[in-house]
Amino acid sequence: MKKVSLFGLGAGLLAALALSPEPVSAQESTLDIVKSRGHLRCQLGTPAPGFYSLSDAGKWSGFDVETCRAVSASIFGDPDKIEYQSVTSAVRFTAMANGESDVLSRTTTWTLFRETQLGLDFTTVNFYDGQGFMVTNDSGVKSALELKGATVCVLTGTTTELNLTDYGRTNGLDIQPVVFEDSNVRDSTFFSGGCDAITNDKSGLASIRAKAPDRSIFTILPETISKEPLGPVVRQNDSQWNDIVMWAVFTMVAAEELGINSGNVDKMRAESGNPEIRRMLGVEGDLNTGLGLGKDWAYNIIKMVGNYGENYEEYMGSKTVMNIPRAGSVNDLWTRGGLMYSPPFR
Amino acid sequence: MTDTMQTDAVFHPKPSMPPPPNTVGVVGWMRKNLFGSLVDGILTIGCLALVLYVLNSVLQYTLINAVWTANSYRECLDINKGEGACWAGISVWFNSMMYGRYPDPEQWRINLAFVTLFAWMAPFWFPKVSGKMLVGASAVLTFPFLAAQLFLGGETSLFHQAMVSVALVLFITVWLHVGTSYLMGRSIGDVLVGITGFADKDDRLHKWVHMGFFGVGFVLAFLYQSSWEFVEVPITVWGGLFLTLVISGIGIASALPNGILLALGRRSKMPVIRVFCTSFIELFRSVPLITILFMAVTMMPLFLPVEINPPKLIMVIVAVCLFSAAYMAETVRAGLQAINKGQYEAAQAMGLNFWKMMALIVMPQALKLMIPNIVGSFIGLMKDTTLVSIIGLYDILLMAKAAGQNPTWLGFHTEPLLFTASFFFVICFCMSKYSQHLERTIGGGYGRR
Repeated sequence: MKKVSLFGLGAGLLAALALSPEPVSAQESTLDIVKSRGHLRCQLGTPAPGFYSLSDAGKWSGFDVETCRAVSASIFGDPDKIEYQSVTSAVRFTAMANGESDVLSRTTTWTLFRETQLGLDFTTVNFYDGQGFMVTNDSGVKSALELKGATVCVLTGTTTELNLTDYGRTNGLDIQPVVFEDSNVRDSTFFSGGCDAITNDKSGLASIRAKAPDRSIFTILPETISKEPLGPVVRQNDSQWNDIVMWAVFTMVAAEELGINSGNVDKMRAESGNPEIRRMLGVEGDLNTGLGLGKDWAYNIIKMVGNYGENYEEYMGSKTVMNIPRAGSVNDLWTRGGLMYSPPFR
Repeated sequence: MTDTMQTDAVFHPKPSMPPPPNTVGVVGWMRKNLFGSLVDGILTIGCLALVLYVLNSVLQYTLINAVWTANSYRECLDINKGEGACWAGISVWFNSMMYGRYPDPEQWRINLAFVTLFAWMAPFWFPKVSGKMLVGASAVLTFPFLAAQLFLGGETSLFHQAMVSVALVLFITVWLHVGTSYLMGRSIGDVLVGITGFADKDDRLHKWVHMGFFGVGFVLAFLYQSSWEFVEVPITVWGGLFLTLVISGIGIASALPNGILLALGRRSKMPVIRVFCTSFIELFRSVPLITILFMAVTMMPLFLPVEINPPKLIMVIVAVCLFSAAYMAETVRAGLQAINKGQYEAAQAMGLNFWKMMALIVMPQALKLMIPNIVGSFIGLMKDTTLVSIIGLYDILLMAKAAGQNPTWLGFHTEPLLFTASFFFVICFCMSKYSQHLERTIGGGYGRR
């Protein structure tokens, strides 16, 4: 997810250099290209539970897949006009730079470097992740600050490893990292008691816990030691396309805030007197013209893909194997103490 | 008395004593080879214990504790606590690992294409069938069109349709040829000429007869195939073992002809050709395959106009073909250098030109020497194709990894890898066995020693 890949970096830089004099698609807007092609090219990573995974029938599904489906629904009125591209993280930015993908919707952390040096624009954040620790209940550890002298399983060559040593030094914890090349080996070592704790992004910890022989014996500690805001990314210098993707995410967040979901959206459109809802669903006003989309673009997103909360519960919520509780977390709505906040529809 | 003495004097050899019972049979063999000394005995028992221990663990994992029916990995874990394999997952993911994301109702097309290919190649193993080179050439040159039509579907150009028709006619001809060879002991060409009654006429007339039959067959095949309506399956959903075989198959099929041309070019006396071939070979041999793949897939589109955006798979196949050709060229060159200079000179003394000398005298001897190396490269290439998983093509390896990331099958990663490994073993072992068979049959005096 965050592997420091020299090759990827080099390739990305090279791509950025090669592009800088004459960006591939600055002349022609991405929206026009997508419309004339008839489908969206959506870049995902290699399967990551919750975010994007492949079913045995060959269908992609997941939290980040829904973002692409929302964009497709807003453009075509059909959430499935998508060609999914599953790319390893080493080449994800090059695949954007060379015009292969229209939108990158995979667990990619928004950083200053990536925003400014790779010819990319981060649209907005749709999932706030962060590095944490998981321990067994038997250990009795309740806080990461109690991990004095503990052995911690971690993947080598990742920012995760760097964050771990930084955290240990700042808090004087003398943490002993046990490094692994392969995540499956790391996980089975942790399950069999090879280390006191395991560290990863919290969403990653949830999926590690999900595959343990006995899930109930593990606890994810409350501390978050790094900021990993994840969200969809587009190519630089195409603000219309940037807006479309950004507002597809905002639509889902705002819909939840306004109490609209895929079940009641028809009723809301017909009956609601709330002016913001009426503007959003295209009953009045012409908010769609700025985006270059049809009048019912937001209606289609909510009807076909659902609001933010619905998608969260479907792929991350307590009924799924991921089981990442949302209430009160950063991924909850701002009205409930979280960070999910959409600018107004007016 | 003396008489009887004389008659008794005939020598009756005493039958030799049987060897001591513990030196013959199974017991004797064991004493000699397994328990010859105290150290041997200890080693034998130790090894036996080790083998039994490993075998026991393997059986425990693969059979005794294995789960054969379950709907999720969690169910498997609940049943065997992770002590055994979860083969139930393999049956759920089998189609994905074979065909990738190729739509289920269309998968018969892939099967049909592969069955056709095997049927086309099968006459190689029939000793009575003549003209094996023609059979092979017909398959290599026209089967790709038939396969492309089956795999891709959708609308195709007139030329493509014509080539598909040619492929159909040739395939049927090959099997008619097998039939006539076994039933009548004659080739299909002779039989056709016999039917028309021109058997005793000029050879040139025979050719016209063949052409006539081919023409009729072609028209029929063209009419037949124009009624085909295959749903278009985009190249981006190809995957699994199917994709692995497509990439390595094309790579293998193109490696030998390209390699021969490059090797001849490198030994050529014409400087431009020699320099070009040498630099091509050295460039591609000095760079790892994964770098070439990255170049082809991520860097090439940057240098091409936006309108030209070839699918990733095409770029990968081209890259693999170039790479394998460079390796094959050096193998072929080694074979060429093993041929005595006298052979070249003798061929030239007979007045053969360059191509005839190569095709009739040098290559047949050189290729025979190269078989182990050629097959070695093929096996290497077959396994190298798994590198495409790094650039995000869903070959069998990446499909196997994807299975364990599905929320329902989270943690299911050992079994798909074992399954994949077994497939590679079977395919590579078959190639290896076939090469040994080739060496025995065409190796002549140079066979394995």
